[in-house]
Amino acid sequence: MTTKRGLKYDFSLIAILLIPIGVAINFVGAQIVLLLKLPVYLDTIGTALTAMIGGPWIGMVTGLCTNLVKGILNPVSFAFIPVQMGVGLVVGLLAMSGMFTKAWKVIIAAVLVSLTSTIIASPIQVLMFGGATGNSSDALVATFLASGQQIWTAVFSTKIINECIDKVFCLLIAFFIVKKMSPRYLSKLNYGSIFIKSKKQ
Amino acid sequence: MSMITIKNLSYQYPIVETDVLHDINISIEKGEFYAVIGSNGAGKTTFCNVIRGFIPHFYKGDLRGEILIEGKDIRDWELGDLSQKIGYVFQNPFTQISGVKETVFEEIAFGLENLGLEVEIIKEKVENVLKMLEIEYLQEKNPFELSGGQKQRVALASIIVMEPDILVIDEPTSQLDPQGTEEVFKIIELMKNKGKTIILVEHKMELIAEYADRIILMQDGKVVKQGLTKDILSDEDTLQYGSALPQYALFGIEMRNQNMDLGSIPLTEKQSISVVQQWMKKEGLA
Amino acid sequence: MDQIKKSILHLYPTTKFLVTLFLCISVFIVPGYLYAYSVLFICMFFSYLAGSFKEFSDLAIKALLLIVVFIFILQSFFYPGTHVIWSWSIFSIKQEGIDFALNLTSKIVAIGSSFILFFRITKVKDLISSLEALGLPPKVTYIFLSTLQIIPEMKKLTIVIMDAQKTRGVETEGKLFTRIKAFLPTLSPLILGSIAGTEERVLTLESRAFSAKVKKTSLYTVEKTKYDPIVRIILLILLITLIIWRVML
Repeated sequence: MTTKRGLKYDFSLIAILLIPIGVAINFVGAQIVLLLKLPVYLDTIGTALTAMIGGPWIGMVTGLCTNLVKGILNPVSFAFIPVQMGVGLVVGLLAMSGMFTKAWKVIIAAVLVSLTSTIIASPIQVLMFGGATGNSSDALVATFLASGQQIWTAVFSTKIINECIDKVFCLLIAFFIVKKMSPRYLSKLNYGSIFIKSKKQ
Repeated sequence: MSMITIKNLSYQYPIVETDVLHDINISIEKGEFYAVIGSNGAGKTTFCNVIRGFIPHFYKGDLRGEILIEGKDIRDWELGDLSQKIGYVFQNPFTQISGVKETVFEEIAFGLENLGLEVEIIKEKVENVLKMLEIEYLQEKNPFELSGGQKQRVALASIIVMEPDILVIDEPTSQLDPQGTEEVFKIIELMKNKGKTIILVEHKMELIAEYADRIILMQDGKVVKQGLTKDILSDEDTLQYGSALPQYALFGIEMRNQNMDLGSIPLTEKQSISVVQQWMKKEGLA
Repeated sequence: MDQIKKSILHLYPTTKFLVTLFLCISVFIVPGYLYAYSVLFICMFFSYLAGSFKEFSDLAIKALLLIVVFIFILQSFFYPGTHVIWSWSIFSIKQEGIDFALNLTSKIVAIGSSFILFFRITKVKDLISSLEALGLPPKVTYIFLSTLQIIPEMKKLTIVIMDAQKTRGVETEGKLFTRIKAFLPTLSPLILGSIAGTEERVLTLESRAFSAKVKKTSLYTVEKTKYDPIVRIILLILLITLIIWRVML
């Protein structure tokens, strides 16, 4: 494609309407996890989904809005805004290069996305929160520390393990949902064509 | 000059190989009430989308031929400017709310806020529309919490308040109960009496027979018949194009086929009663 | 009392935000953890005046307590230091770790509680309206307002869908694998349904002149009160005093 791609191109009205839905999906995903008592977070499905079909910018804004809304009740989320935005950006870029067209590619993409979020989240967690997050994964950090690890490696190791499990599920779910979307709908989105093509094959 | 002139119009959606509209020629005159009828998949909604400019401004694809709104080609209009010229209301009552307003009053005001009108004027206009459509009792309610029929009337109010000259209304009653349908038609009639040009897609033939001035009959993306309501709906031939006829017309046609000539084919309940009464008098039955 | 409550709640959103900002900055000017911890009590007091003490306390506990406890555990045991004050087998608590944790958590608590206070005494709708007046683009305000309306709607819908799935025989309890299998059938109709609606929502917005190129007006506006300039001046004086005091020290 040779069309000029600027911010205005990415933020078409239909793409903008995806953002609130993406944020709501993040919340609802977390809500269902709670109701079903699952041992994962699954609170970035919406960010991943909007990034896949709306592009990296839309994905980033969805991530931003998610943590802004979370922050109304828990300001700690404000600190982790860059993590959600990073996920949106990287998923969007990976989607553009066709990494969400086959299940095995999605798994590789999940590892890359986990790496990204770990790299962004670890410094925030170590420098701003002394390595803690306030949820159960802190026990794992403590275990790593007790086994003689430095705080940085302890946090990094904990994060990468958690993230990989979580992101594989998140991205696979987003991938299956995009697969179910009609070509007619995908054709209206600037970044939908890559998924239409993969369907035809 | 006609309000809308359409010449040799054809259209193809993206990623689809065939035309959904073929070589349409039509002109829409000011103040007339047009009903667009035809079977499902005849291209009625696509036709509406072209008139409202969503094709080609939102739906891409390949649009050929000419469509002039007040003499200016649709491709040269800005979507924002068209909103004051042509109002658009469609089937699904649930997607026709802005999604950002907490009361019906604010919801109806949304379009006027977007047009940048002064707050005092907005309030006055919204109040007038609420009164005119008799939905003042809804004004403090949350738009999310209305019934389908109420949502549809709020959708109509939100468009009418912007005072467009033309109203394009696509199957507004298909998801409503008879009561809701009747209330929506009352509003449409009100608009016709105010001199608005109305283009309505509808399946309920009895209502069309009662309200519409002219009919546009579509089949397979083509306009196969157009003319006065009384001509098209009393013609048995119309059935061949996948459209229904009002039950009163079917009755009249059946009577004629049974060699009992009512004099004319009735379209509405009122007409049926009067022609049957005349016929009975003539036959010496009454 | 009611008068005070009203005056606080009716302050202009950006004024309230300046209070929050001031509290956040002040903990970095005033040394030590005592002042920073006292910000929590300052916020509590304000929330009491504004009639939202309970909500404030609930949220502050939910958001901050666990993270503070974990920071203490991690830092007091594992922060490198020599002044051991308590030990058991390989574990030992060091003074340096406690000091570090006190310092860090006091700031987290101060910043956290001033933001919690802000959102307890400010309606998000008012905040957005004031940002709009400052020149936030309408597309951005649309995203925020729409998000705030969609989340509760979708949550309600989730419960409805889950109940429907249950009656259709989808198991939502029991073994982990069964519960995992219930996730997708619950989420995917919700997502596909709401995403399919965006197309018509675009038509709705366009029909309502959303993309008209004129400056929009707004029925809903927030007005500044007579106390706004007073509060702002007090904040400025306090800030300058703190800085001077800090430099002189």
